[in-house]
Amino acid sequence: MTTPALDSILLGTTNPHRLRDWYAAALAPGDSGEAFTEVTPTMFAGTFGDTSVLIDGRSDVADKNPDPGRVILNFHVDDARATADHLNALGVTWLVELEEREGGLFGTLVDPDGNYVQIIELKE
Amino acid sequence: MTGVVVMVADAPVPEKPAGVRRRARIRAITLESRTPDRAAAWYRQALGLTDADPLLTAGGVELRFTLGTADAANTVEPARIILNFHVADIRTAEARLVALEAVWIRELERTRWGIIGTVLDLDGNFVQVVEPAPDSPPCLQRKEEHP
Repeated sequence: MTTPALDSILLGTTNPHRLRDWYAAALAPGDSGEAFTEVTPTMFAGTFGDTSVLIDGRSDVADKNPDPGRVILNFHVDDARATADHLNALGVTWLVELEEREGGLFGTLVDPDGNYVQIIELKE
Repeated sequence: MTGVVVMVADAPVPEKPAGVRRRARIRAITLESRTPDRAAAWYRQALGLTDADPLLTAGGVELRFTLGTADAANTVEPARIILNFHVADIRTAEARLVALEAVWIRELERTRWGIIGTVLDLDGNFVQVVEPAPDSPPCLQRKEEHP
């Protein structure tokens, strides 16, 4: 028997193109703009590990997340310092800059809709 | 100019640092809750997971729960971030949620993507169970058979 899998996470947004471009540039920079596929003209899907991020243009959300700490997406990366340098070059907004904690390197940034995104490099 | 071949090279493509070439992977979701222990127990039951593993994972993703500090009791905008749990048998998933007395936002419905139902978790987040249609896009299919 297989157990349910968190196979996708839907991000509702008023500006799906902007959000798609941000996630592609920030977290899939090596994919030459092909990180996301168009599901519909206002929905894009990109796979990050075992999970897809579905960016869905919708009208029942505000331009900015009014409650961003409720759900945080944790992205694991190979090299957090290189990722932070790359993100800084993109001009992202950090909630908590990259820092060393027990277990590895952690940083939290804010996507264009105000959602919190955590970058993690675990120690071996 | 005769006999001279002018070579025009393509503009060099900027090389990404090796450390960021590989795409980031979502390995965990952190959910803020007024009652993290109850929330974790709810997800464990909703997903049919046992207590044997101290980590609560769904596929390759861990669900983590932290004590919430928000003023509002429930999520203000539940359509902002929706967790889609893909299942092999939607009726089994439905039965678990009915047994939990989950609040249904959308009862099971056949859509172009498959059969989908939406419930609220204990903190008012939208949680969807999805049995993907065979012809839905690959990105919306189950990624792999998780044990």
